[in-house]
Amino acid sequence: MSTAPSGTSPSAPGNDAAGLTDLAGFVGSTTVDGVPVLLAPRRGDVTAGLVFRVGRADETLATSGITHLVEHLALFDQNLTEVHSNGLTADTYTLFHVTGTPDEVVRFLGGVCSALRDLPTDRLEVERGILRTEAAGRSGGPARAMRVWRYGARGYGLAGYDELGAARVTAEDVRAWARERFTRDNCVLFLTDDRVPPGLAIDLPAGTRFATPAPTTALPTTPASFVGQDGSIVLDAVVPRTAAATAFAQVAGRALFRDLRQDGGYSYTADADYTPRDGEHATITLYADTLPDQQDAAVGAFVDTMARLRAGRIEQDELDVVRSRMLRELDAPELAAQMLPGYALSLLYGRPLEHPDHGRAEIEALSVDDLRAVAREVWSDALVQVPARTLEWAGLDAAPSWSEAVLVGRRFPRAGSPVFLVVADVGVSLVTPQGASTVLFDECEVMTCRPDGARFLTGADGFTVPVEPTLHPGLTRDVVATAIDARVRADVVVNLPARDPDVVPRPPDPSAPTARVRTALADLGARARGWLAPRFGYVVRVFVGVSALVVWLLGRALIAAGEASTTDLVVVLTTAIALAAIPWIARWWLRRELRR
Amino acid sequence: MTSSSAGAPTLGPPIVDAFDAVPVLAPFRETARRGDWDALRSMLHGVGSVDDLVAVVEHLARLDGIESGLERSVADRPDDVLVTLLAARYVRAGWEVRTRDRARHVSAAQFEQFHAMLGRAERLLVDVCARRPDLAPAWSTRLATARGLELGHGEARRRYRRLAAHHPHVFAAQAQLLQQLCPKWGGTWEDAFAFARECAAGSPSGSPAGALVATAHLERWADSDSRSGRAHLASAAVLDELREHAARSVLHPDASLGVQGAEAHGAFALVYSLGGHAVAAAPHFRAMGERVPPEPWDYLEDPAGDLVRFREAAFRSETQGEA
Repeated sequence: MSTAPSGTSPSAPGNDAAGLTDLAGFVGSTTVDGVPVLLAPRRGDVTAGLVFRVGRADETLATSGITHLVEHLALFDQNLTEVHSNGLTADTYTLFHVTGTPDEVVRFLGGVCSALRDLPTDRLEVERGILRTEAAGRSGGPARAMRVWRYGARGYGLAGYDELGAARVTAEDVRAWARERFTRDNCVLFLTDDRVPPGLAIDLPAGTRFATPAPTTALPTTPASFVGQDGSIVLDAVVPRTAAATAFAQVAGRALFRDLRQDGGYSYTADADYTPRDGEHATITLYADTLPDQQDAAVGAFVDTMARLRAGRIEQDELDVVRSRMLRELDAPELAAQMLPGYALSLLYGRPLEHPDHGRAEIEALSVDDLRAVAREVWSDALVQVPARTLEWAGLDAAPSWSEAVLVGRRFPRAGSPVFLVVADVGVSLVTPQGASTVLFDECEVMTCRPDGARFLTGADGFTVPVEPTLHPGLTRDVVATAIDARVRADVVVNLPARDPDVVPRPPDPSAPTARVRTALADLGARARGWLAPRFGYVVRVFVGVSALVVWLLGRALIAAGEASTTDLVVVLTTAIALAAIPWIARWWLRRELRR
Repeated sequence: MTSSSAGAPTLGPPIVDAFDAVPVLAPFRETARRGDWDALRSMLHGVGSVDDLVAVVEHLARLDGIESGLERSVADRPDDVLVTLLAARYVRAGWEVRTRDRARHVSAAQFEQFHAMLGRAERLLVDVCARRPDLAPAWSTRLATARGLELGHGEARRRYRRLAAHHPHVFAAQAQLLQQLCPKWGGTWEDAFAFARECAAGSPSGSPAGALVATAHLERWADSDSRSGRAHLASAAVLDELREHAARSVLHPDASLGVQGAEAHGAFALVYSLGGHAVAAAPHFRAMGERVPPEPWDYLEDPAGDLVRFREAAFRSETQGEA
């Protein structure tokens, strides 16, 4: 069984030394046990960071979480409460860091490396549980949805999913992953000191440096928009890493804050973020929440603010404020130490390392035209989440909500619904009146299985198909086993625990026709009551008047016809009493229904 | 057809035409019909008042077939005012497809085309407003697109606020937002009347904004069944309110009504006539003269006929009053 990475391959051993010449005098460099080390002193305790070029984006959905497990297992033996230390698994890197005395640093790094060489996989089940608990405590947020819509269920899109792989990877898988990725050729160490602490050893196996994964895409065209569930507006775009892009993010964040919150009062939070994704690209994210009743205005203002930036109608002082803030950051004391983590990553990504003077010059040269150019780049690559309706009117395509392909095969209708499931040789489709969702078996990234027989398939493009046997007559366990389970690769199957019985979907009541009639009658009754209740007095008066008239006419007819017999009188009297009783009965009926 | 009294004007049958009612518009129409976009550009840039510019663009947008010429012209030489006119033409053409019928009488195909054309206009106008946030006709047209695309009341008001930040008293734009605030477009009478009254109160004396209140009453009448509608318009309270607004706006000694004057007078003339206040309507009919814009007479089933009848009644009652 393979834990083959998706889209990442070993790169040639980097010519790391070349990248470091620019930093001579600013950041020191050396190697320890073949691992590049970056040095820049800082007052106080020493911080050390051991960064590996492996993260969530190197995994597959079926192995997602494996890097995180390695990180946890490597730290298990460390007494994390005594020393300030921790681990972090991100999209493209995993970091182990510690702050303490040089001796504590040496001890920590030695422990991590020794654990990585021989992971305590007897702890695997416990760590799986801890990962699940950590995940449950994290809020979703719109960022996750954005990842899936942009990248699908692979690479950078995996951050949009739960760590499904953590439930199925074996001890051997985890060890193999560590052997492949947590090697001395795939990491860099940084230290906030002017020298390597005595006794430091980075005892890791040899390996290769892995380039960052090639990005996948689930968007046929950009700019595109989709409707999200949490009432916020989010725009993200991937752009080249430049000072202009960094400045643009800050300018845009301030513009959105002014337009949407201060001037408009449509949002409470409005800001922007610039985060490097890999060596060449960064993700710019613009975000605004929307106050209730102000959603449509917030969206309109967002579109208009972006249009203004694209048009280059940016005040000089908008740029100048951001420029001076960026320059101030480069004037920070102990700048070199602050920049170490970024430099370490650049080294791992194969991105040239530059002295901050270079950055300073770039920032000083920024113009409004540069910002306008970035604004246009951002818009053309944009994915926008909106609260209520897609932005076709503003020129954005609707991101695909449905698969293009609908498979042909065995049909399993859903009882009492126009939805049906198609099971074909090549995959499955769930077909609804609005569109279909298809997953080809070859492109199935994960199939989760529940003991109650349900299956949930996720395709590489992020589309999913739920297979709920309880809802589809004819979809027996046998059919599922032979037509679906047998065609899905074993290494993408994730077995999940039993669901709460209340959550398992049930088919609608078989006595549906009579239920429909009953509800129709109840509906009619409700409408009649609704009409009658406010007009009751009026209706009664009319009714009494008409009844009196009827009785009088009846009486007159009888008299005119000749002698009124006793029967006739009884008839008239009964009619009169019956008619008189009706308003009382009606009032009783109204009251009874209203009391319910 | 004349009246016997010396006080009543001698007026021939009304000529109802958007352009003919406003003589200053004639050269704009001719230039546009000729396809002389360079000249039209200069003329539009030369329009003195913001209100008038918005009204001229709205009128020119009614001219069928100017799209292709405009598209070529702005491709060669981009100009924000001509782009706005092109967008306004798309909007107008879109509404022609949709018609003014209630939504339930409009087919899905009509709606699709309507939205497509409004979307085309909107995409042009987003960029124009980004470059020229002070260009009133662009925002005014975006009020129409916001309404047609059903972008929401909050968004419509936001666009109006953006315009008002530069130009607080653009009558044509106020009329657009007033439409959106009516129940037929998802608003309420409270909102519609509050906005009309706010605009009227906030505008300088002699501006046409008072006619918005008359229009609000007309919208309400059009929405109700005829008996209760007319009864409401006949009330003394409504008469008093309208008189107050008329005196402060179209009948004010300092009135400078520009291109939309006839329309503003017409709103008062019609609302008074429907309420049976023929005397009050007379000065407004007199001010309009023979050339009358189609709005708001198109609220009526027989615009030309009713217009004549109401006008005669107004002048007659005036004479009787004097006698």
